[in-house]
Amino acid sequence: MKEFFKRNRLILTTGFVIGVIALALGALGNPGNMGFCVACFLRDIAGSLGLHGSANVQYFRPEIVGILLGSTLAALAFREFKGRGGSSPVLRFILGAFVMIGALMFLGCPLRMIIRLGSGDLNALLGLAGFFAGILAGAAFLKKGFNLKRAYTISCVEGAAFPVAMLVLFILSVSGIFGVFLSSEEGPGSLHAFWVVSLVAGLVVGFLCQRSRMCMAGGLRDVVLFRDCSLISGFIVLFLTVLVGSLILKGGAFSFAFSGQPVAHTDGLWNFLGMALVGWASILLGGCPLRQLVLAGEGNSDSAIAVLGMIAGAAFCHNWGLASSADGPTANGKVAVVAGFVVVALISIICTFAKKKGEN
Amino acid sequence: MIHKKGAQLYVTFYTSADAMALERACRAAGLPGRLLPVPRSITSDCGVAWATEPCQRAALTVLLEQAHLEAAGIFETEE
Repeated sequence: MKEFFKRNRLILTTGFVIGVIALALGALGNPGNMGFCVACFLRDIAGSLGLHGSANVQYFRPEIVGILLGSTLAALAFREFKGRGGSSPVLRFILGAFVMIGALMFLGCPLRMIIRLGSGDLNALLGLAGFFAGILAGAAFLKKGFNLKRAYTISCVEGAAFPVAMLVLFILSVSGIFGVFLSSEEGPGSLHAFWVVSLVAGLVVGFLCQRSRMCMAGGLRDVVLFRDCSLISGFIVLFLTVLVGSLILKGGAFSFAFSGQPVAHTDGLWNFLGMALVGWASILLGGCPLRQLVLAGEGNSDSAIAVLGMIAGAAFCHNWGLASSADGPTANGKVAVVAGFVVVALISIICTFAKKKGEN
Repeated sequence: MIHKKGAQLYVTFYTSADAMALERACRAAGLPGRLLPVPRSITSDCGVAWATEPCQRAALTVLLEQAHLEAAGIFETEE
């Protein structure tokens, strides 16, 4: 046990720090149980850029820029920044879009799922069960030889293009120079901590996640395929930190419950299916949304493409009425999640078995 | 065998599929080892590596060539 803690102190520390920061951001203005959510924050950025017209979810979230740049700084400091790309970019874009469609069915990425669970939201249990089921499906194809083909070395300019572009957009949004960025006046998009605090929080999280390789999908993959609990231990500490913090902050008002949870709905079946889609697609991508952001920060253009797919997916979600709300999932959203399973299954089958016949 | 303390040999790959393919080839050839997440000390990537004893390096090199598998690297670490 002592050896386990010694070997995994960085991932355990990362889980603890993210938990504390998530609680702090919640207390400082972020929406309920949403100290961090990569899916929600990318959705808000899509809204800020005018890619969708939902007035309640538009804000250029500094946390996302912070995670990207924190990862870039860590990679540069430890000489791990390297441009890589060329591994099935279009398929990664599509998978990224369906990760977002699944996440906005559930209303959160795997990171927020754990934060919601630690905050007493039992709907996240259904999400966790679905996410695990999705991981099992994806892992089965990995074992059979699923392959998106290898990435190649690309120029550092190409590798740095996405984080730099996001930084430039963020500076423009904060400065208000052109006045083109949208910002919600009510709803979740209007709820946020002071941007400097959010940015610094993102920087710390991005830095630590680059060093520790924190990843919910990778963590469960390692448990399923290798019986290795190193990565997942960070999320267990994150859960415990948020749980203890919520008990302290909420006191007697804390309770485990399905109803009355912020930015959540109680449709268990679609919470399960939404996160199952996220889990399956994330395993094929090689990491959860948080991990994709961190990899994009250290020069991986394939992950940058996946993040762009998520942003596009968020725009589709709100333009076509696919995203759930506190009232529950929409009919369009259910169709989109089912379509997502069909597409992800086809990608899984083709990229696993066609290869063996030399067609892939 | 892999859990004991001492030097370990890790073969890393560009894709998980190649790591799985090496596992199958090693099983067929009777070479010892197992698949593991790539240690953080080797790379910031979170791929899959084949871990075995350093004395297997020569046999693995031959097997990689026979199976037409491209390793990203072969690393020896102290556990």
